Amino acid sequence: MKKGVLLFAHNSREIDYARMSIISGSLAKHYLGLPVSLVTDASTISWMQTSDCYDKAIDVFDKIIEADTVEYSNYRRLHDGPMPSLVPFINFDRSMAYDYTPYEQTLLIDTDFLIFSNRLNEFWDSSDTVLISSAMQDICDKSRAGYQDRYVSDTGVHLYWATTVMFTKNEYSKIFFDLVKHIKENYNIYSDLYSFFNVTQYRNDIAFSIAKHILDGFSTDTSSTLPPIVTTIDKDILHEVKKDLLVFLITPKNDSSYVLASSKGVDIHVMNKQSIIRNYDKLMESL
Amino acid sequence: MKFGYLIIVSVSEEFDYPKMAYALALSIKNTQKEGYDSVALVINDKSKLDKLKSLWVFDHIIETELPPHWDGRSFMDQLTPFEATVCLDADMLFFEDHSHWVEYFLENSDLYIANRAYTYRGEMITDDYYRRTFTANELPNLYSFYSFFKKDSKTVSEFFTLVRYITTYPTEFSNLFLSKFKPSVLGTDEVLALAAKILGIENDISYELDFPKIVHAKPMVQNWPWPADRLTDHAGFNFNKSGKLKLGNYQQNNIVHYVEKDKITDEVISILEDIAWKN
Repeated sequence: MKKGVLLFAHNSREIDYARMSIISGSLAKHYLGLPVSLVTDASTISWMQTSDCYDKAIDVFDKIIEADTVEYSNYRRLHDGPMPSLVPFINFDRSMAYDYTPYEQTLLIDTDFLIFSNRLNEFWDSSDTVLISSAMQDICDKSRAGYQDRYVSDTGVHLYWATTVMFTKNEYSKIFFDLVKHIKENYNIYSDLYSFFNVTQYRNDIAFSIAKHILDGFSTDTSSTLPPIVTTIDKDILHEVKKDLLVFLITPKNDSSYVLASSKGVDIHVMNKQSIIRNYDKLMESL
Repeated sequence: MKFGYLIIVSVSEEFDYPKMAYALALSIKNTQKEGYDSVALVINDKSKLDKLKSLWVFDHIIETELPPHWDGRSFMDQLTPFEATVCLDADMLFFEDHSHWVEYFLENSDLYIANRAYTYRGEMITDDYYRRTFTANELPNLYSFYSFFKKDSKTVSEFFTLVRYITTYPTEFSNLFLSKFKPSVLGTDEVLALAAKILGIENDISYELDFPKIVHAKPMVQNWPWPADRLTDHAGFNFNKSGKLKLGNYQQNNIVHYVEKDKITDEVISILEDIAWKN
């Protein structure tokens, strides 16, 4: 099979990534017109079966690939609107995308990345075999992105966003993913080399960014990248869905005040995962 | 047309400019293709070169009395032995062949002054921390560290005549044209920019190009989230045996204006000499 979309979903106690993957996968399949496969684990499959969404998953996904169960030790503080909580998440096996994908050309996306256009189809013929998004673009006119959203560290390398990664299987992309695995396995050493200090939380964005930096000759090359990712942060709330129109409550000052904002026909990274799940029915009905 | 790089240094007690010029000349010899690797040194005391092992890297050594500090560079058009010249600051190093930049200027320009500088990460510098005078007085954003000119050009002659005039009367020109953020000392960058503005030729001699690409290692314009005294306090200066430089995690392929004069150690010189001798 030539082209397809790949998602990873491993449920945690707090977040139903399986359900998110069904939404994200359905949207990708509909708007890109491509098959979508899911990499997951036995316990997440079991949850899908008990929560009555497995039939939908079988319908949406071209292949459901059962990976080894990965123990999670990654925690991060995530908001659901104004409400913060410390949530565990499993993101260690994204570096295995090269090994798991059933496609010659793969678009790897996060389950909180919702596709509402066919824009990413424009990049399949790129001469570059690994493309990553160059940056995040805040839905707010005035970006709430911090320094750590643009660089791996204060003095470190450019931060690419592994929310969307497109790759063609070949020798170069194999080296790329092998390098990402190497960085992941030696994350402490790379934190010294690249001056980032939060080693308790493994970030794919960082591992992918360093791998790209190294393979670009220890330089930043933003000319061969996927478009910036339009993003709503986790303090924002997905309030309403009307087909490809999403209405958000956003907090421009990153505090407790909210205003309305919307996106239409735009691929969008919705970091408030719970609000995606709350809108499961509307998002699925929109297709 | 005979082309070459020109380095103008005044002997100083504070910094070893002849040593820096020597490192720059070595790096040019090591990286630029034949025909684009000639170097001329202008110095006010030739005896300071005696300690250097390979003076052959200077195709011309011109000893002359120079005005103090950087004012000597206002005579670059008269001092150069070449028909076409790029005048460089002494505290710079080359790492790759940039002859194609020169080929472009030889074909298309009589006079071109760089108008961009880059961070060690390769981002174009937009911060005007060191250039408030430029912003406040609407000067063209010229950097004298890479100045291309042809000797037989009327524009060049007129331009440098005015440059020398401004250099001779800095207070008068500052009072008249640089009333906001008036600099305590009028540097070459300001003088060249002011001359270009007065003559109204800034768009002719410094139009937008993707080159020359020169990394400017001044610390406050590196897009860091905090102030810094020296770039290398935070991003390592790693010069390897192949004569390649990494600043922090970034391989430097463009010309680097390293600013910190103590970076040219005997070890750096030794590496550059080894490469030059093997070539």
